[in-house]
Amino acid sequence: MTSNGHNRSLVVIQLSGGNDYLNTLVPYNEGLYYDYRPAVSIEPEQVLKLDDQYGFRPGMEPVKRLWDEGKVAIVNGIGYPNPNRSHFRSMDIWHTALPEDIGNEGWLGRAIRELDPKGDNVLTGVNFGRGLPRALGCRGVPVASVGNLETYGLFPDMEDESLRKFALETFAKMYGGARGGDAVMDFLGQTGTDALKGADILRTAPAVYSSGVEYAADPMGQSLKSVAQVLFADLGTRIFYTQHGSFDTHSGELKTHAQLWDEVAGGIGDFMDDLKEHGREDDVAILVFSEFGRRIKDNGSGTDHGSGGIAFVIGGSVDGGMYGEYPSMKEEDQLDGDLHFNNDFRSTYSTILEDWMGLEAAPIVNGRFESFDLIKN
Amino acid sequence: MTTQAAAPPLTLKYAKTIGIVNNGLNGRGFAYPCDLAVSGDGRIFVMNRWDKAPRVGICNLDEDYVGEFGGGYGKDAGQFTLPVSIAFDSEERLYVTDEYLDRVSIFSTDGELLETWGAAGSGDGELNGPAGIAFDPDDNLYLVDQRNHRVQRFSRAGEFLGKWGSHGDGPGEFNMPWGAALDSGGNVYVADWRNDRVQKFTPDGCYLASFGDPGSGEGQLHRPAGVAVDGNGNVYVADWGNERVQVFAPDGSLAALLRGEATLSKWASEFLAANPDEKVVRDKSNLIPDLPLHLSSPYQVSSQTEPYFWGPVSVKLDGQGRLYVTETNRHRFQVYDVA
Amino acid sequence: MSSRDMEMMAHLMRRAGFGATRPELEEHVARGYEATVEKLLNPGDPHNLPDDVLRRYHVDMGESRFLDTAGAYWIYRMVTTENPLEEKIALFWHGLFATGYAKLNQARSLLNQIEMFRRVGLGSFRDLLVELSKDPAMLVWLDNNDNHNGAINENYGRELLELFSMGIGNYTEQDIKEASRAFTGWTLGNAEYMVTRSMKDSIWPYGRISWHFDFREWDHDDGEKTFLGETGAWDGDDIVEIICKQSSAAEFVCRRIFQFFAADEIDGEGEEVVADMMRSYFESDYEIRSVLRTLFNSDYFRSERSMYKRVKAPVEVVVGAVRIAGSYREPTLEAPQLASQALFMGQGLLMPPTVEGWHEGDEWIDSGALVERVNFAAQELRNVELPGVQDIIYRLAHMNGGTLTPAELVNGCLDLMGPIRVSDETREALTGYVARSGDVPLRDDDSAEESANRVGEVLGLITATREYQLA
Repeated sequence: MTSNGHNRSLVVIQLSGGNDYLNTLVPYNEGLYYDYRPAVSIEPEQVLKLDDQYGFRPGMEPVKRLWDEGKVAIVNGIGYPNPNRSHFRSMDIWHTALPEDIGNEGWLGRAIRELDPKGDNVLTGVNFGRGLPRALGCRGVPVASVGNLETYGLFPDMEDESLRKFALETFAKMYGGARGGDAVMDFLGQTGTDALKGADILRTAPAVYSSGVEYAADPMGQSLKSVAQVLFADLGTRIFYTQHGSFDTHSGELKTHAQLWDEVAGGIGDFMDDLKEHGREDDVAILVFSEFGRRIKDNGSGTDHGSGGIAFVIGGSVDGGMYGEYPSMKEEDQLDGDLHFNNDFRSTYSTILEDWMGLEAAPIVNGRFESFDLIKN
Repeated sequence: MTTQAAAPPLTLKYAKTIGIVNNGLNGRGFAYPCDLAVSGDGRIFVMNRWDKAPRVGICNLDEDYVGEFGGGYGKDAGQFTLPVSIAFDSEERLYVTDEYLDRVSIFSTDGELLETWGAAGSGDGELNGPAGIAFDPDDNLYLVDQRNHRVQRFSRAGEFLGKWGSHGDGPGEFNMPWGAALDSGGNVYVADWRNDRVQKFTPDGCYLASFGDPGSGEGQLHRPAGVAVDGNGNVYVADWGNERVQVFAPDGSLAALLRGEATLSKWASEFLAANPDEKVVRDKSNLIPDLPLHLSSPYQVSSQTEPYFWGPVSVKLDGQGRLYVTETNRHRFQVYDVA
Repeated sequence: MSSRDMEMMAHLMRRAGFGATRPELEEHVARGYEATVEKLLNPGDPHNLPDDVLRRYHVDMGESRFLDTAGAYWIYRMVTTENPLEEKIALFWHGLFATGYAKLNQARSLLNQIEMFRRVGLGSFRDLLVELSKDPAMLVWLDNNDNHNGAINENYGRELLELFSMGIGNYTEQDIKEASRAFTGWTLGNAEYMVTRSMKDSIWPYGRISWHFDFREWDHDDGEKTFLGETGAWDGDDIVEIICKQSSAAEFVCRRIFQFFAADEIDGEGEEVVADMMRSYFESDYEIRSVLRTLFNSDYFRSERSMYKRVKAPVEVVVGAVRIAGSYREPTLEAPQLASQALFMGQGLLMPPTVEGWHEGDEWIDSGALVERVNFAAQELRNVELPGVQDIIYRLAHMNGGTLTPAELVNGCLDLMGPIRVSDETREALTGYVARSGDVPLRDDDSAEESANRVGEVLGLITATREYQLA
């Protein structure tokens, strides 16, 4: 593998809604945890223990297996100064790498622009889901947003394949050719032609895919299967994005959080198996993040918006282990009733951009941040 | 109207508020509750209409959240799309109407789906937007057929027994009716929603009387959604469009008017205990503020005034002298003692 | 009625509204162009789908917590109103005074702001700016709740001058400070609690609590201020009054109105129209209605210089397709998806990306957005069950004896969808699509259904053309 990262891809999994840190990596030897969580805690005997202090919540067995193989880096206490506890705003901050101002450009959109400055490949970045996350948004950077890989492109609802083919040919004719010096019409023509081209290429991916891995039917499993299909089709995609949720567990957390992590951990486990089967385990890093952690104290049924969270970087080239400090739960160490973050999320971004993708991080994340040494060389 | 003895004076005393908003798929709290029914053992079954996770939630007057059921959002058996009303028959089977699916689903109190019936259409026994339901002592079901602008009577197995009403604003006619209730004599009361009145009928559907007329003054109604009748013949109306509850005496005079006075439920107190940053500023706030003129409609006032009813959709009496007012937009119900 | 009249009326209705169906256009043409402009400028009862019916059906439209249902509520208004300009001007002000959900977490108050735009959006610019300065969503959006006597926060004062009324270069930094002082104490009721909830996106314990304006006299700086050269103990109303007198304010608002309603770019002759609009602004005591009247009745607007010179905004694509297709006239389960569709195309209603609003013109278009535009509109128009589509089929079936050649069908569809003018290449491509299966017998019992479907396909393909992307 080259060290400039040309063969390396990044898969981002966004846990939308605010994943509860304390119930993800459980401090099962910490009495304060059980004191603050009379209704919403995980018993020590259920915890998948990593050491004598911390362990994963049940349901994360596939991630535990990867941890045992040394492929899981846990970033403890991740956050940013003056934490914002609003979903939209905090997610915006993660997406634009700008905690103080309202930004226009997504960090991954900027990364894509660096990876493919002329926009030669409309598939350098691919989002799985409808609507473009702000992280991928950047003026002039085309990113495909794929709801369903099988029907991606124009006229997905036309069931008669021959009719659809003919409609697409008509579209190609209508968008081909310049229009007598009208710049807007020419721009539309070029854009429409690009859209057709991108869709044609993407739709080939499922056809050439074969795997012994059976993904779960839930949206997380299916999204990661689509990632694998596009990845193995070698279309030059470097950044994949998908999200799962809702992790906004104000009520009934024990049940909802368990199901969500079943799906996320199961999807990650299957995806890593798929990578292994295709000999690509070392070419992919997965970043898992959420916009914030949750309150230390439960509310009797769930937990409310907090700060100080957990992120994961997972992959064959990742140097597994704990990074960052698990924040103290002592009252004097808390931040307004929340876990106090101790490392800026842009450190993790910088690590991925520099050490994994081979890009200069500072202009992308709006500053210089110390990296973690979590990529194997 | 038949002659009745004058009902004793009515007082309604606020007792408590139960609920908290729930924005998840399960657990304590309510998500756009649209109706409730009280079982014989005092458990309160609340129909939540939220399309992300419609379900029946169960709690008691001590504010324990004791369970929930339903197959989630959808069209399959046991699922809900747009649930409207719920009611128990004499054997404590819980009936749920769904105005999108045009069907009635029947559950045990354990949440087991026992039966479904109903077909879309405008013929006898067919449904177009089933809304309020109420049983008579013989377990005949009166069902408000919203978009057919009529009331239909069924056996509890769904066998068609009779109907009355058509679209219009004359006596016995309806415009998108919603809730229904029976009095001890088996007379039927229907919240004639878009005619701004409650109509009273004999068990066979002969028109007897009408309560309320359009407006926002005392004794006037705006889009009444729910109705209940106590043993003295007082008629409780969820005056949805005026964001209040009004009670008419049997002679049609106004016996009581409630605007709502919600306090913190047990669950709300637990939330604020876990979130002292909110409690501190909340305690310094005036939750019944003065509002500028352009925000003076009842809807706007309630949107700004947390203790008041907002979206009072259903009124229910439990036979123990308690009135339950379900508020869709506030995800709670307020309980009043009737004396 | 001439086809030119029809074409001009379709143009007016695309700009002053969201496009119109053929029966609507016929009614407007019969009334006449200038009379229709007056009707648009002086809205009566909108006859939109009533709030009570929507709130009964869509359970969240009461509390208005969710962005998609709040957006859908507005889209219902745009789809069913008989006063399209009332909604279009609200959309204009929403883009100019861009206030976004992401910071507020308060859709009800944003809808109240939109309602304010309906109420005063065609009236005096002075009234509009005063109401805007008292709008609680705006106050929180631009931090005026943190603008205190003796400790000013300039955010609202700055954007009021730069982005909302005059534009950079027409005032000094000192003017910003003085204006900000005048707006101290202009805040919202229970500001501390409301903003705490807003910052945490808290809906607890009992759902959203909507916002209202509050004046804290003790926190208001009533001292003397010098603003744009005028000195006095100004408060916010006085600041607005001084702004509205400025030629730069007239120019700012008239240019923005021109670009939204007439053409994305202002050319030399366009500048003359802007000058006329500015005259109307001053002659009418800053009345927006008068400014629009001047624009709509100008020769410029009623010519090729304006027609097809704007890229449709996503909301125009969504509402335009729905209005023509005749869907969503009644409460419809899928309505929240309409708001999501516009978002996927790049315009989230009630959620402009920043205080600068959306980047319009050809910036609406990228490959992902174009796919979303085409897929939505094509699916809507291909649905031959919808009443608007059926009306088009009915009208086509009563042309030329009911059997149309491919060219006749394409011309008929282009006419009934607009009229829309397209290039020869586009027309040929469409005709080629139809010609594959020959003539289209619309009144032949055996093939009427198949023929209707073929009409739907053509209508769908017309929404996919480059020309359809323009208004």
